[in-house]
Amino acid sequence: MNQTYNIDRRRFLSTSAALAATSILPQWAFAQAADTFRLGSLNSITGIGGPYGPAMLESIRLAVDEVNSAGGAAGRKFQLFTEDDQTKADVAVLAAKKLIEINRVQAIVGIWPSAVGLAVMPLTNNAGLIMMNTCGAPEMQTENKRGLAWMFQASNAVFGKAFAQVARQRGFKRPAVMAFNNSTFVGLADYFKKTWEAEGGKLSSLVIYEPNQTSYRTELNNVLATKPDVIAMGSYKPDATILLKEWFQTGQDCKFIMPGWTANKDLVKALGKEVTEGIISISNVANTEAPAYKSYAERFQAKLKREPDVFAAQSYDMVITLALAIESAGAKADTQAINDNIKTVTQGDGEKVSSFAQGRDILRKGGKVNYEGASSSLTFGARGETVPDFGVFEIRAGELVRKETIPGTA
Amino acid sequence: MDAISIINAAINGVVIGMLLALPALAITMVFGIARFPNAAAGDSMTLGAYCAVGAQIFISDSLAVGVILATLVTAIVSVFFYGWVFRPLALRSNISRLIASIGVAFVIRNTITFFTGQDQYNLNVPLVRAWNFNGIRILPTDMYIVMIAMVALAIMFYILHGTDLGRKMRAVADNTDLAASSGIHSRHVMLSLWTISGLFCGLGGVLLGIKAVVVPDLGFELLMPMFAAVILGGIGHPVGAVIGMLLFSIGQEIASLYVGPSYKIPMAFVILLVVLLVRPQGIFGRPMAAR
Repeated sequence: MNQTYNIDRRRFLSTSAALAATSILPQWAFAQAADTFRLGSLNSITGIGGPYGPAMLESIRLAVDEVNSAGGAAGRKFQLFTEDDQTKADVAVLAAKKLIEINRVQAIVGIWPSAVGLAVMPLTNNAGLIMMNTCGAPEMQTENKRGLAWMFQASNAVFGKAFAQVARQRGFKRPAVMAFNNSTFVGLADYFKKTWEAEGGKLSSLVIYEPNQTSYRTELNNVLATKPDVIAMGSYKPDATILLKEWFQTGQDCKFIMPGWTANKDLVKALGKEVTEGIISISNVANTEAPAYKSYAERFQAKLKREPDVFAAQSYDMVITLALAIESAGAKADTQAINDNIKTVTQGDGEKVSSFAQGRDILRKGGKVNYEGASSSLTFGARGETVPDFGVFEIRAGELVRKETIPGTA
Repeated sequence: MDAISIINAAINGVVIGMLLALPALAITMVFGIARFPNAAAGDSMTLGAYCAVGAQIFISDSLAVGVILATLVTAIVSVFFYGWVFRPLALRSNISRLIASIGVAFVIRNTITFFTGQDQYNLNVPLVRAWNFNGIRILPTDMYIVMIAMVALAIMFYILHGTDLGRKMRAVADNTDLAASSGIHSRHVMLSLWTISGLFCGLGGVLLGIKAVVVPDLGFELLMPMFAAVILGGIGHPVGAVIGMLLFSIGQEIASLYVGPSYKIPMAFVILLVVLLVRPQGIFGRPMAAR
C-alpha cells in the first residue's frame, strides 16, 4: 500500500517538475507545426456573463468549424482551447496563463467583460498575443500599447455619449444615472455625465450599485427621491430585472434608457409588457442586413434555437477576421505579421466579402478584401476600437420598435 | 438624510434580513450540531429557487405548489448528501467537512446549470404597487415574505424549545458524548437536522427567487453575508442567527444611504468587526472558556 502511494507521489512530482520546466523554457518551445494555429477562447460562461458567454463560445466554434472545413487559414487549421473566466478578473488571469503557458495559444478571443480584458491584456501583451474582445471600458484603448488588442464592441465612452444625446433629443431635463459597479458601466456613467454637463445641465443623481444584490430598493429610492424624468441604466439583465421590478412597484413615473443587450425581448419576457413599456433601448445592433450575419445566424439558430445577440455575432467575427488575417499574412507569418493584417482585411477599398472561404479565394488570387462582419462592418480605429452607429429602439407592447439611427462619435 | 429614507431603508433591511434568517438559521444549527460551516447552504437555496421555477413551468402557476416542491426536494437532497458525504466524514476534522461541503455546493450548482444553462429565470408573481404611507413604501409581496419567514421561524423555535426532538438536538449541540451516553440516538437527530436544514434553505431560496431573479449564483453569492451574520449572532445560536442577520441587513441598507451603495457590504462587515471587538463570542454566543 505504502509502496504504490510512494510511486504515485514520485510520478506526480516528476510530472509536475517537467510541467514547470516546460513553462520556464523560452520561445523555442513555441516552434510550432505550420499546419495548426492554436486559438484560445476565454469566455464568461458562468457568473454575471452567464446569459451571454455560452452563446459566444458556440459562435466561436461555428467560425472555427467554418474555417477548418474550408481547409484552414493559409493551410493552418485552428485548434481551439477554451476556458471559463467565471466573469472574474482573478480567475481570468489564471485561465489566460494556462492558455498562454500550457496550451501555447497564439491568440485569445471571446473576452467579454472589461474587468477581464484589462486584467488579461498585460499578459497577452507580454507574450505578444493577439487579443480580441467585446470590452467597452475606455481604458482598453489607452492600455492597448502594442496594438494587439481589438475591441469588437463599441467603447462605453461612445455608449455614454450616445445615451446622453438621446436623452437630450427626447427633451428630458433631469436625467439620473444608475450603473453596475464594473469598469464597463462606470465608464458609461462617467461619459454620460461629462456629455450631459458639457452641454449645460445637471444630473439629478448618479449611483453606482454593487453586483449580485437581492434587492436594489434603497439605491433606487435614493435616485427616485431626486425626481428624475429619465434614468440611464448601465445594467446587465439580472440586475436590470430586479431594479425595474422594484421601480414598477413604487408607482413613480419615470422613463429608462438602457443598452440593447439588456433591454430586449428576454427582458420583456422576464417582466411583462406593462413594466417594460416605453423603455428606450440603444445598441450597436448586429449587422442584420449583411450576408455574413444571415449565414451565421442560420447556423446559430440551428444550434441554439434562437437569434444571436450582438456579443455572439462579434465573437463569430473575431475568428473569421483572424482567419482572413492569417490567410493574408501567409502560412509562415508570425503573430506580429498576422496582427498587421487585421486592418488590411477588414477595411479599405478591397472587395467586400462575407465569409472566410470567399475572402480566402480572393486573397489567394492576390486580390484585396474587406470583410463585412456579422456584428458590424468592422472598421477599426487607431487604437483597435470600433465606432459603430447606434440604433435607437423603444419597447412598445413588448416589441422593440426601431426609432432612429444615430452616428457614433468617438 | 431624512427620516423617510432611513425608515424605507430599514424596512428593506428587515425584509432581506428575515428572508435570509431562514438559511442563516440552518447554517448555525448545522454548525452547532454537526460542527462545521456548511458552504452548501447557499446552493441549496439556489436549488429551491430553481425547483419553484420548474414547478411553475411544468406543474402549476401556483406558488404554493412551488414552495412545497422546492422544500421537499431540498430536504431530500440535503439528507442524501448527509448520508453520502457528511456522515462518513463525521469523525474527521471539521475542515474536511467544510471542504466537502464546498464540493457539494459545486455539485448542486453544476447539476442545476447542466439542465438549465446559465441564463436567468423568473418566478411569475403578479407585480403590485407598494402601499404608500406619506413616502414610506411597503410592498405587499414583502409583507407575505416576512410573514412566511416569521411563521417558519416560530415553528422552528417551537420545535427547538417545546418538543422532545428539540431537546435532543440541543443536547447533542451542547455535548455530543454526554448526549450519546444519556441514550440519545444521534442518527435520528442528524437526520432531523439535515431535513430541517434542507427545508429552510429551500424555503429561503424560493422567497429569494420571488424578490430577485433566479440565476445559478443566487445563493452562493449570499454565503459570505450569511456566515458573517451567524458569527455576529454567536455561532451555533439559533436566535443569534436571526438577530445577527437582521442587524447585518439593516446595517447594510442604512449604511448605503451615507457611504454610497458601493461601500454597503464593507460597512456591514465593519459592524461585524466592532461587535466582535466588544464581544468576541458574538452577541448571544457563550465564551468558549466557560465550557
